[in-house]
Amino acid sequence: MRPWRRAWERYRRQTRFLVIVYLLLMVLAGGAFWLFARLRNLPPEELTNRLLVFLLWWFDLTLIAILLFMLLRNLTKLGLERYHGVFGSRFRAKLVISYLVLIFGPTLLVFLLSASLLSHAAASWFSAPVEEMATQSTALATGLRLEAEARARRAATLLAWEVARAGEGRAARIAALERLHRLRGHQLTGLWRDGAVIIELQDPRAPELRRLTPLDATALSSSGQRSERAGGTLVVRAWEVLPDGTAVVVGEALSPELFAAQSRLAAAGAAWEQLKLQRTAMTATMVLGFGGFALVVVFAAVWLGLHLSRRFTAPLLALVASTERAAGGETLEEVPLPADDEVGLLVESFNAMVRRLKEKEAALRSAVHRLDTVLHAVRTGVLTVDAQRTSAEGNPAAAALLGMPELASRAVPLDELAAAGNARLVEALRTASGPVRGSITVEAGKVARALELAILPLGDAGEPQGWVVALEDLTQLLRAQRQAAWSEVARRIAHQIKNPLTPIRLAAERIARHAERGGEDFASVASQGCSAIVEHVQAMQEMVDSFALYARLPPVSLRPTNLGQLVRQLVALYDGLRPNLHFRLDDALGEEEVLVDPEQLRQALANLLDNAAEASPAGGEVLVSLQRSGGEVKLVVADRGTGIGSDDPDLLFQPFYSTKGRGSGIGLAVVQRIVADHGGTVRLLPREGGGVEAVVTLPAQG
Amino acid sequence: MVVCALLLAAALPGAEPSGLEVSLAPSPGRLTVQLAANREVPGEWSRALAGGAPVTITYRLRLFRNRRWLWDQRLAGHELVVEAQRDPLTGIFTLIARQDGEVLASGHAATLEEAIHWVTHPPPAVIPVPLRHEPLWLVVRAEYLTRYKLLVIPSTVGTEWVTRAVPESP
Repeated sequence: MRPWRRAWERYRRQTRFLVIVYLLLMVLAGGAFWLFARLRNLPPEELTNRLLVFLLWWFDLTLIAILLFMLLRNLTKLGLERYHGVFGSRFRAKLVISYLVLIFGPTLLVFLLSASLLSHAAASWFSAPVEEMATQSTALATGLRLEAEARARRAATLLAWEVARAGEGRAARIAALERLHRLRGHQLTGLWRDGAVIIELQDPRAPELRRLTPLDATALSSSGQRSERAGGTLVVRAWEVLPDGTAVVVGEALSPELFAAQSRLAAAGAAWEQLKLQRTAMTATMVLGFGGFALVVVFAAVWLGLHLSRRFTAPLLALVASTERAAGGETLEEVPLPADDEVGLLVESFNAMVRRLKEKEAALRSAVHRLDTVLHAVRTGVLTVDAQRTSAEGNPAAAALLGMPELASRAVPLDELAAAGNARLVEALRTASGPVRGSITVEAGKVARALELAILPLGDAGEPQGWVVALEDLTQLLRAQRQAAWSEVARRIAHQIKNPLTPIRLAAERIARHAERGGEDFASVASQGCSAIVEHVQAMQEMVDSFALYARLPPVSLRPTNLGQLVRQLVALYDGLRPNLHFRLDDALGEEEVLVDPEQLRQALANLLDNAAEASPAGGEVLVSLQRSGGEVKLVVADRGTGIGSDDPDLLFQPFYSTKGRGSGIGLAVVQRIVADHGGTVRLLPREGGGVEAVVTLPAQG
Repeated sequence: MVVCALLLAAALPGAEPSGLEVSLAPSPGRLTVQLAANREVPGEWSRALAGGAPVTITYRLRLFRNRRWLWDQRLAGHELVVEAQRDPLTGIFTLIARQDGEVLASGHAATLEEAIHWVTHPPPAVIPVPLRHEPLWLVVRAEYLTRYKLLVIPSTVGTEWVTRAVPESP
């Protein structure tokens, strides 16, 4: 079964539809009965006219009613949909109103113009020339009759005078009448008295005069005339009454041909008059018929417009509804609407976009799944914090590091996180204005943990959409590093102590051996041995002092310092320290003041100048340069010595490490510590052309 | 009081504002209705009659039962159609009166005035009157022709509806 047939069958079985059809038929039957009863006594022409007008009226009214119902229903529906905010109702309302304006405007204009034209056309049909012709045709027919009547009347008068002259005797009068009848050639002559015929003479060539209606006595009481139809023509009779009451009658019949023409003229005139009476009905019929046609056109156009508005908007609304559902969190689905026009292309493009989005969504879901797996597997804690920095959630590693298992399953308020012993972390989060790296210690679950922290904004750094925090547990690493450092310190201290112990032991054994032998040189040997022992003990004392110095470095005390002046004084002090060694200063900083601790910075610069002086060959030059680079002050001490002498320059900054085979190995360590306390860095770089450049970078806080 | 009396007098209908005179003569089971249309016939009506077109005046007679608490019940409806047509050849007006399709009377007139008088003063119509307990009303109107307002709206040209109480038969 075809779809329209199925739809019709489904619609036909609805009770409401059956009731409406039943009521409609009942109304139609009642109307037909009423119409029949009302019009049964009318003549056929009038019945036709009235029936036609009636049917046209009902046709027009029915169409208007259906049209109004359809419009009101759709407009009400659209209004309600718009009131309730149904999606697409605004667009459909605009479309339908545009259709209605486009339909009703031109159609109404055409109807009014056509009605006016029809009215004028109907008026032109009844124009003056036609009216004049019809009137004159009637007048002509009447005139012919009147002329015949006048002629008969004159003849009757003449005959009456002649008959009266013949005397009062009946025979004489009859004789006179017969003579005059023959003489004047009348078609009908006669004498009447008291309503009865005395004699009547007829022309045998006029058979239509044979069966005339008798003249009644009342009419014959005075002179007169009468016209009547007889034998297919018009017969005119006139009579003149003599003093004695005898009426002389003269009659004639018009020729049948003339009478036929006269009849046609009269009938045309009568038809014209009747047509004039029906003129308004004819105009109404035409206007109503045209109005019905216009209504049919409007009805079809409105129905088509409503249908097209639904057809045009349905795919678009389906598209938008799909996107709305997707915006509401549902899955974006394809729109299964078949169309082969531009809207179809739009639907197909939308469906292609949906397919691509689904593929990308699947890939994204897979990537998220992989990332989730990775985040669950890694030992690095990862936290995500919302843009308002009110809550955070993290992976299991972060939950374990921060001692809050619920972090892995839900967003935890930062206050709650801070209360759990992570106050420093929360403070760092709340104060971060950009990327932050550093180390903090948290006491989550009464267990102190050293964490390496990295805070990064998500999206635009100026207006981040959130924050990501990476936490690395450094507790074990620091413990191991600390143990390794202590082992290294112990090893180096043992090494430093063992170096002088051997000569001391050898000197003591030599003294003891000479004391046993009691030789003459004992005193000399004892003196030399004691001197050696004292010398090495003094070296050990210096070593211990340097240890104490490294351990007792006080916190930096920053204050505005003329760094150029400080460096110039020190360079001047070192210049000439050794013969054939020059210290040159390249100061690009001038008198600018920098926020530093001058005593500690002087100590660090002296250590660097000591190392440069020791490394420089005879006749060499140590170049000290001071310059500003952006927000930093760069201090470079460059020599022409043997170079760094180690594959790993960082080892040179470790305490008790030395490549010189002498000294405590604490100088560069002190330099690094002082520079680090100032927030700067120090590096050793090989100098082009040989030698080393010690580059110190300090923040230029004026 | 004077003002009220004047207003009341002004509001009262005139003697015969409808243009239709109705005389009723009751008899047992029947009512003889004599009608006379005093309103001037429309010009196109009389011109059509003079030109030979058939014209009619339709007298509609409706009998109602006056129910006190309900609307009036229509008991019967009658039509008295008086037709006139002039024979342009003979100049004689043929006149026919039909009541409910049955010829009631016929006649001839020699002049237009006689013909108009004949159709505006038709022969009396006799209508049956049922036995009743409630008062009866006879509502009568004469219709000359139909015009159309605004091209399409039918409008009947005729007298007003005249209502007369049906008197009791002697």
